[in-house]
Amino acid sequence: MTGFGAFLRKELTEIRRTWRIWVIPGMLVFFGVTSPIIAALTPALVRSMATSQPGLVIQIPPPTARDAYVQFIKSLDQLVLIAIIITGASLVSGERSSGTAILALTKPLSRAAFVVTKILSQVLLIVAATALGTAVCLAVTAVVFDGAGGARLLTAVAFWLLYAVLLIVVMTLFSAAFRSRGAAAGAGLGFYFVTLLVSAWGPAARYSFLGLVLATQKALVMESLSLGWPIATAVVAIGAGAVAAVRVFERQEL
Amino acid sequence: MTPVRSDETAAIELSGLTKRFGDTLALDRVDLVVRPGVVFGFLGRNGAGKTTALRILSGLARPTAGTAHILGHDVERATDAVRARIGFLPDVPGFYPWMTAREYMEFAGRLFGLDQATLDARATALLQMAGLSLVTTRVGGFSRGMKQRLGIAQALINAPSLLMLDEPTSALDPIGRREVLEMVASLRGRTTVFFSTHILADVERVCDAVAILERGRVVASAAIGELTARASANRLVVEVEGDAGAVAVTAALTRCAWLKSIETDERTLRLTVSDLPTAQREIPAAIAAAGAALRRFEIAETSLEDVFVELVGGPAQ
Repeated sequence: MTGFGAFLRKELTEIRRTWRIWVIPGMLVFFGVTSPIIAALTPALVRSMATSQPGLVIQIPPPTARDAYVQFIKSLDQLVLIAIIITGASLVSGERSSGTAILALTKPLSRAAFVVTKILSQVLLIVAATALGTAVCLAVTAVVFDGAGGARLLTAVAFWLLYAVLLIVVMTLFSAAFRSRGAAAGAGLGFYFVTLLVSAWGPAARYSFLGLVLATQKALVMESLSLGWPIATAVVAIGAGAVAAVRVFERQEL
Repeated sequence: MTPVRSDETAAIELSGLTKRFGDTLALDRVDLVVRPGVVFGFLGRNGAGKTTALRILSGLARPTAGTAHILGHDVERATDAVRARIGFLPDVPGFYPWMTAREYMEFAGRLFGLDQATLDARATALLQMAGLSLVTTRVGGFSRGMKQRLGIAQALINAPSLLMLDEPTSALDPIGRREVLEMVASLRGRTTVFFSTHILADVERVCDAVAILERGRVVASAAIGELTARASANRLVVEVEGDAGAVAVTAALTRCAWLKSIETDERTLRLTVSDLPTAQREIPAAIAAAGAALRRFEIAETSLEDVFVELVGGPAQ
């Protein structure tokens, strides 16, 4: 994969020097800070709403650290995944439409290196941002609550990260396959919602990577999870998706 | 045009190159040979197929039929070692807007695997040549001319054996254009320069040889002198006494089988003929028969523009 190092260096510098450093890391840090606070304030908010309805009595158990983690994971499962889809839509198509890919690919930079670098740089960004956001969440939770159950949060985040990496690969494939960013984003959102729906079907969740969609929430409440199939199929899907993205891009004329 | 010697490899060789986009035939069995070390103009109107040919040569597109070789290698199988010897500038170069010109040069140099000392020296020299050495703003704020100059500089960062430029002067002001053409001319003998353009003056200024592309077909390919000499061989200028004489001679000549076209400018007639010796014999007789007096009769000097207009049938810039 000729040109891999030089192009990866460019990608990482681009992340650091453009909006890409702010969007997903910013979201993760924001959710890391706000999730424990929202969890702590939720009972008080609900009680204040209940007082405006005479006769309505709401019993809410005292909030715990787990509520903070659940809130954080929910944000990852929804908003951050959608942000990954939106930003991932332009990974390849953005360079193609701006003409930057032409200048780079007429030099000794293989198309495989181009695509793999896009995936790798995005994965590094998500991993670093997730580590930062999770650390912030754990720290704020420790201040607001007792901070117990951090290990379960780490397990849940690890499952989420595996699914996020799969989504990055899928978005790279869509971004290579579709000429427009909008079409790639639309396909990505379609993939997200379809997997969400299909994951509700037991066998699909047990024997495919779709099991990861629900595993993040389950990991916070269950002692042990049997996720051999979902993890193995996710790894296979990541590899197959990356190969497909490279093949699709190699066939394209620029 | 001087053919490629048996002991040298053509810088570019197209053989039956065809490219089709749906029902549109962008390139139609193009045959072309570019000798190493020359400055070669690839001339044609907008939409003639120049950019398509360059995209195939640079590996960005694949031919529908035929073959394209650069530096002796099939472009469809060109290795990184081959690509390392090529410089390319597309018609509208795209740069990362967050980079400075210097950063882009360094990025390009790293893709070619240049060591830091070589990269620094070349980037400095090329940015100076491009007039961008003191510019520290990001490329996102560059004018089109500045981007074009940076495009040319980055195409030279690897000291290429073959430099392919697509409309390199189209976005430049007269001074920038002159500098680029001087730079291109200075590469003669060391680097093969293959540049597409529709600006005839640029080609006449720096090119050794030229190919004219029209509707996807090469309609002429030769050294510029050879091409204009060939065209001169069938152009004549005749000047007669009196307006009436000019009208009478024009009427007489239009009946001649060897006459391809005639343009009249008061008493001066510009003729394009298919058979020069016959025309040279019969024109004085026709003038005498029309009762006009001959003032001037000579073979016309032909410019590249004349050749272009004759072959393409329409004006260029």
